[in-house]
Amino acid sequence: MTDLGTTQTVELCTADLDPGEMRRIELDGYDPVAVYNIDGVYFTTADRCTHATASLSNGTLADDCVTCPIHNGTFHVPTGTATTFPAKIDLQTFRTRIENGQVIAELTPSQSSTESTTPSAPQRQEQTGRDHTSTTAVAVNRTTTTRSIASGSELVDAPNGRVDRRIFWDQDIYERELLQVFAKSWLFIAHDSQIPRPGDFITTWMGEDAVIVVRQLDGTIRAVINSCTHRGNRVCHADAGHVDQFVCNYHGWSFGIDGGRLLGVHESNIYEADPNWRPDELGLVEVAHLNTYKGLVFATFDRNAPTLAEFLGDFAWYLDVMLDNAEGGTEFLAGNVRSVLDCNWKVAAENFAGDSLHAGWTHDSGARAILDTSVATLAEGESYHVNVNGHGWEFNLDGVGNAATLGQRDVMRYLRSRHGEVVERLGETRANMLGAISSVNVFPNFSFLPGQATFRIWHPRGPHQTLLYTWVLVNKSAPQEVKDAYRKGVMMTFSPSGVFEMDDGENWEQATQVNRGVVTRHQPLHYGLGHDTAIDHPELPGNVHRSQVNDANQRAFYTHWAELMDSDPPAIPGATP
Amino acid sequence: MSGAAIATERDMADRAAALLLREARLLDAEAYDDWLELFTDDVHYWMPSTESRYRAGSDASPTRMAFFDDTKDDLRIRVRRFQAPTAWSEDPPTRHVHVVTNIETFPTDAADTYDVHSVVAAHRSRGEDDNTVTLARRADSVVDTPDGLRIRRRHIFTPGVVLQSRNLNTFL
Repeated sequence: MTDLGTTQTVELCTADLDPGEMRRIELDGYDPVAVYNIDGVYFTTADRCTHATASLSNGTLADDCVTCPIHNGTFHVPTGTATTFPAKIDLQTFRTRIENGQVIAELTPSQSSTESTTPSAPQRQEQTGRDHTSTTAVAVNRTTTTRSIASGSELVDAPNGRVDRRIFWDQDIYERELLQVFAKSWLFIAHDSQIPRPGDFITTWMGEDAVIVVRQLDGTIRAVINSCTHRGNRVCHADAGHVDQFVCNYHGWSFGIDGGRLLGVHESNIYEADPNWRPDELGLVEVAHLNTYKGLVFATFDRNAPTLAEFLGDFAWYLDVMLDNAEGGTEFLAGNVRSVLDCNWKVAAENFAGDSLHAGWTHDSGARAILDTSVATLAEGESYHVNVNGHGWEFNLDGVGNAATLGQRDVMRYLRSRHGEVVERLGETRANMLGAISSVNVFPNFSFLPGQATFRIWHPRGPHQTLLYTWVLVNKSAPQEVKDAYRKGVMMTFSPSGVFEMDDGENWEQATQVNRGVVTRHQPLHYGLGHDTAIDHPELPGNVHRSQVNDANQRAFYTHWAELMDSDPPAIPGATP
Repeated sequence: MSGAAIATERDMADRAAALLLREARLLDAEAYDDWLELFTDDVHYWMPSTESRYRAGSDASPTRMAFFDDTKDDLRIRVRRFQAPTAWSEDPPTRHVHVVTNIETFPTDAADTYDVHSVVAAHRSRGEDDNTVTLARRADSVVDTPDGLRIRRRHIFTPGVVLQSRNLNTFL
């Protein structure tokens, strides 16, 4: 059954209900409950329908299901499970017994009457320039509803290397994940270089929320939800471009690029005649926080999120390998190749976080096509799994292993010619990470391959599908022929037509789709490689493990995921209904 | 136009169509070595990514990321993977059916070079019920050589911004 906190044993009423009867009970200090007699067994649930506000005891009880009298949503009384539309949220149930002819239940006392609080988080000092913290709307804490799905700690058991297959299949876990993981994390939304001029924009996703990322007149960047505040239609339909404002096609509501302020509406004189018309409150809804780290733009919907610097933590030291190995920083090349995979997003993200092992087997045909040889044997000597806050980087220090698979001589020449300069800038270790056999995932779903320079987001599209966005990242200062070589190389290897990526998709899709089988879903998965490989390292920050042939980063990814799933809900823009 | 000219044009249209239909059959049969022979050694085979942009304003960059931006050697690399015994996702083999339609052939100023337009619908089936169709428009430059018609340039444009499949394990 479900508990939201400590319960108290309460006598509800005399056990004199007929079978098939239900009764509303109101007691001081408790929300109203409904008591049911189903074939002689007594049950107790909350009386208020989770859909709107109706009293379920005014509805109908048939067999073991109660139907709400207003909108006909039904609930399975013994478990509280919402069974038919429009009921979606499960009903809270209470342990019930009969004692001395009385119905006794373990009730939770009423919550305090205030449902919303404005968090008093101080204005956060962000790390670099071009930061913006939204001041629109009042962020509200949504109280969790009854938790009838398994908790994160039940689904992930890192010390024993176990991950429950339901996290790749179940719809309700996915719905919770959208809020607890995606709306609580900093998500990558753009590279600074994609929107150089005021009015430049791109559209993308944060979880399944459509957002527009726009360069402001003052040079900062803001991100808003791509949904008109009037009736919700998208206000921007292009992938990228340049505009003076966003105009909704439905009623002509027009929003400025400066944070999405409402500029005007069609037939505005009619609106303006209304004394309650408040255009200042009708701008496009902004993300809670936005900041950049060395060209990468991140945003979060959670007003209570830590700073971006705290979110990245020591992982920033590693990110500098890609983002800060040359003066002038980096840029994305033009073009965003997109594809759809019928796999759960986490299957792909965990692969990039820590899976060096698959390369030699999955990608043998790709290596033979490009290099006419098998994938380089992973050196046991100097390689690592490193994770920080759920982010993971697995790598060896051969400096060129990944880059070589692009099959582009210009790229190899460029890396070799710059090695000394990178050693001076970042030190020997990070210089050797630059093109090495490695892969990275920034929690939750932003991955890349150092060396191949392919950057990607695994956008979630339900539990069984992922929408993949990919880009190529290069140093701004690289010669044009080197940039062309990277673009060509990535196309040949890590795009949907690429000889390496082609073999990944099927593995991940099948790993997800098999879980349609209910028995299959009960079977364990194995995440037990490299259990006792944690080491202290004099130079490498974060949780360091020896050997890149390891599951340590995957365990860290899922542990962090589980912690978020079980944590307090985010303070997202908008009010609780 | 003279009768002879019309006959030549019709003959060329037939030959171009025969080339494209044969190409489709070779791809369906996984006859990649024969397929490579249909392209000149200096071929440019290009399929840029598709972007949705407003009509007014900047177009997507012509040098943007692509699915194919290949020389003959690049095409050979791809074929090498298809033929590798360790291409696990090709065993059991993918079943392809390439449907070619909307074929139009036009002469150019160069006597032995023709512009050939067509549409391809590449049906791809894997496993039990994994089926995708990828549609594209093609603009080819075809040359008449002593060995027959050969494709010197192919530009492929697909309507989808998002490829509706995990990979593009064929040619279009």
